[in-house]
Amino acid sequence: MERVPITVTVNGRRISAVVEPRMTLADFLREELGLTGTKLGCEHGVCGSCTVLWDGAAVRSCLVLAAQADGANITTIEGLATDGTLHPVQQAFWEAHALQCGFCTPGMVLTAVALLAENPNPSEEEIREALSGNLCRCTGYQNIVRAVQLAAQHERART
Amino acid sequence: MSLQILPRGKWVGARVKRVEDPRFLTGEARYLADLQIPGTVHAAFVRSPYGHARIRRIDTSAARALPGVLAVLTAEDVATLPPLASGLPIEGLKPTPQTVLAKDKVRFLGEAVAVVVAENRYIAEDAAELVEVDYERLPAVTDAERAMAPDAPLLHEDLGTNVVYQKVTTLGDVDAAFAQADRIFRRRFHTNRFVAAPMETRGCLAVYERASGQLTFYSSTQMPHMLRLFLSLFLGIPEHKVRVISPEVGGGFGQKMTIYPEEVVIAYLGRVLGRPVKWVEDRRENLAAATHAKEQIIELEAAVRNDGKVLGLKARLIGDGGAYSFNTASALIEPLAAAGIIPGVYDIRAYQHEVIAVCTNKSPVGAFRAVGWTAAQTARELFFDEIARELGLDPAEFRRRNVITSDRFPYTTITGMVYDSGSYLESLERALELVGYEDLRRRQGELREQGRYLGIGISLYVEPTAWGSEIALQAGFPFPSHDNATVTIDPTGKVRVAVSVHSHGQGHETTLAQVAAEILGVSIDDVIVEHGDTDRAPWGMGTYASRSAVIGGGMVALAAREVREKILRVASRLLEVAPEDLDIQDGNVFVKGAPDRSLSLFQVAFAAYLDGRVRAEGEEPLLSATKFYDPRATYSNGCIVTVCEVDGETGIVHLDKIVAVEDCGTMLNPMIVEGQVMGAIAQGIGGALYEAMVYDENGQLLTDTFVTYALPTASDVPELIIEHLETPSPVTIGGIKGIGEGGLLATPASVAGAVLDAIWPAGRAIEQLPLTPERVLAALGGETGA
Repeated sequence: MERVPITVTVNGRRISAVVEPRMTLADFLREELGLTGTKLGCEHGVCGSCTVLWDGAAVRSCLVLAAQADGANITTIEGLATDGTLHPVQQAFWEAHALQCGFCTPGMVLTAVALLAENPNPSEEEIREALSGNLCRCTGYQNIVRAVQLAAQHERART
Repeated sequence: MSLQILPRGKWVGARVKRVEDPRFLTGEARYLADLQIPGTVHAAFVRSPYGHARIRRIDTSAARALPGVLAVLTAEDVATLPPLASGLPIEGLKPTPQTVLAKDKVRFLGEAVAVVVAENRYIAEDAAELVEVDYERLPAVTDAERAMAPDAPLLHEDLGTNVVYQKVTTLGDVDAAFAQADRIFRRRFHTNRFVAAPMETRGCLAVYERASGQLTFYSSTQMPHMLRLFLSLFLGIPEHKVRVISPEVGGGFGQKMTIYPEEVVIAYLGRVLGRPVKWVEDRRENLAAATHAKEQIIELEAAVRNDGKVLGLKARLIGDGGAYSFNTASALIEPLAAAGIIPGVYDIRAYQHEVIAVCTNKSPVGAFRAVGWTAAQTARELFFDEIARELGLDPAEFRRRNVITSDRFPYTTITGMVYDSGSYLESLERALELVGYEDLRRRQGELREQGRYLGIGISLYVEPTAWGSEIALQAGFPFPSHDNATVTIDPTGKVRVAVSVHSHGQGHETTLAQVAAEILGVSIDDVIVEHGDTDRAPWGMGTYASRSAVIGGGMVALAAREVREKILRVASRLLEVAPEDLDIQDGNVFVKGAPDRSLSLFQVAFAAYLDGRVRAEGEEPLLSATKFYDPRATYSNGCIVTVCEVDGETGIVHLDKIVAVEDCGTMLNPMIVEGQVMGAIAQGIGGALYEAMVYDENGQLLTDTFVTYALPTASDVPELIIEHLETPSPVTIGGIKGIGEGGLLATPASVAGAVLDAIWPAGRAIEQLPLTPERVLAALGGETGA
């Protein structure tokens, strides 16, 4: 299998690599770059644990090949906090007890970040729908919804 | 031993934010798949594509020839490893040993037949596909009753039957109860096979150092010390050279209790290859080959008086155990646990049950949150609703007439469970009040006239919690219990709490720190809780069966109290007062009534370690204590009420709201309690409406991805209103009871009850879950749903 050269920006860092054509973006991030915050929960595009931001949009990295990410601007969970300060969505998840085992959390947080970037004042129904592509087995979702509402509230108060 | 050793001040009972959250929020938390050790090689299992087949031949040559492949093993190569079998000493339970790789035949789709190890996971999976297995297919049996028939295909030929247990138990004067009844009712239920499906699949990593003979085994497990014990015994590695580390665990729910064949195989490979060997399960494997749960056929019969009083019950409970009576708790984990809880919160003094456990060509059944109790609760509550309607009684009123009232505690049930305390009637009334029951009934009537189906489901439950020896036995299982906590204060006054329980999402690093902080008079920021590493945590059983608040909280309290006494003794010598005249608050040890006479905990601890003058003859100077706790039996309770509307055209159920009033005694952290309740309710919604493991008659699993096995999403969970009652246990330290399973125990009954309540005037009973739109429509159509 002919390997493919790619250049991808991950959490602000420009990275050049040579990848097998069939390597998924998720595996590239986790295995090649050691960014294990992105999780694999199903590898068939349902659970959302593998969600990363691709040019700001929430994308399932298990369904994308690393080779396809050439030229992309990727943000993983590791790239969210700045200088040790939690992103408002991360902070809100903490306050609202929106995580238990934490496995779905990176995907949930990034999906929420993408939602609020597009819709800074979502209704509860809109939040639930936006999160319906991220499975959580621990929390029952209610606190996650509250966290997103809290984050939205904080952002509105700040701006 | 005094139980009243848990004060309530700043920390215990407070809604404290979790101290462990930052590492999970930032992606720093490392689960099994995230561990990266140089030189690691990867394993992939070859699994049976058939439900029942003989293995004629396995050809591994093509797989072994693939570049990057280190080894391919089959049952022959691991013949020295003993099979796994349940060690439960229950008379009449037939053993079904399970070899770690299938030998001679496969008994369920997904059973591991061979294992491939390669330089990376991609190559390992490529090679796994190259392993050729020549199967001779056998007729499969996937229905438990069919499996009981004398001419059914046999899974374990040497047993001569698929029935591994069958026993009738008669309690009280059942004949008299049935003779005196005004009415006899009967109903049969087939509860669905559904699974834990934690977001993190199983996985393990074996690191064996040849020169020292030391095995370090990482596994996403709920029971690190038990895993160490089993690995030592199965592999013949001396236990002092085995270390088990359970890293962050992404959910367990019982599915990650010890021990799996894959764990034994990976440990073996680690030793044989001398390189770290890692296995991470994919989701298809998790759905097909990790343990299943909850499927039972329960036939109930009730002897009832016209006023609604239940005089006696009969139950026949058939547990569909899957291909092996799994080693953790055997195929009895469902039907035997269910049998004990059928009477539930109701004052039933005559009860006969027949417990049957059967093998079928499906994945083996193991523990999953509210073992056996979910199926029992579902069957019994739906049955009682039906009886109530037949008698013309409101379902809430029917429950009032049968419930154990609070003046009866401690109440010993006919099955031998000793309910220590509770609030059964109180939780019912409060839940009905919160949901606005009277108004809802009125509204239901109005909507019925418009041809709309509004339903209210009531599920009133008692929940055995905190599996120590006594309650496990009361639940029917002679399961051992042994747990310890070590509390240590370092020279600078910081606190370490090492515990044998192991968090997989329950927040122990916060709740157990709250207990230590309360007793030691420090902030939880000065406390660290260690768990999961057998080298750092004292010996114990781990976390399952809602035991960690009671057992963890209790043993931490005991150990912290002893360390507190040591601190006060040292401080008393430094301050020249009696220890009784001292208190500790916010990290300061001070004289009561003269708070300016104080020392920081730093100063006291430093002196305790390094100043010989504060020691006395006969004392142990080290600021550490290790305490054991195996609690008395304690039972939580609650009431879950669901409001739903059923669409008569589509059969789709719209959940309007779910109210849960729960009582787990003294709460360490109400925020964590609510999280547990809500998560369990969501799983219950899945079990009621969406989730089922479906096999065809050949043992082909039709639900092996998240596309076909549908977990509830954020759009599927309605508003959850949670309220707490707090009836402390009189028999546990601090009055704490377990919480964690009630939501899954009671919610399927509540949701299904609401659906049936909605449609009952128009339709018939439903005997099977999940309540798919097809089943609901069939019931509305007047025929029994299939």
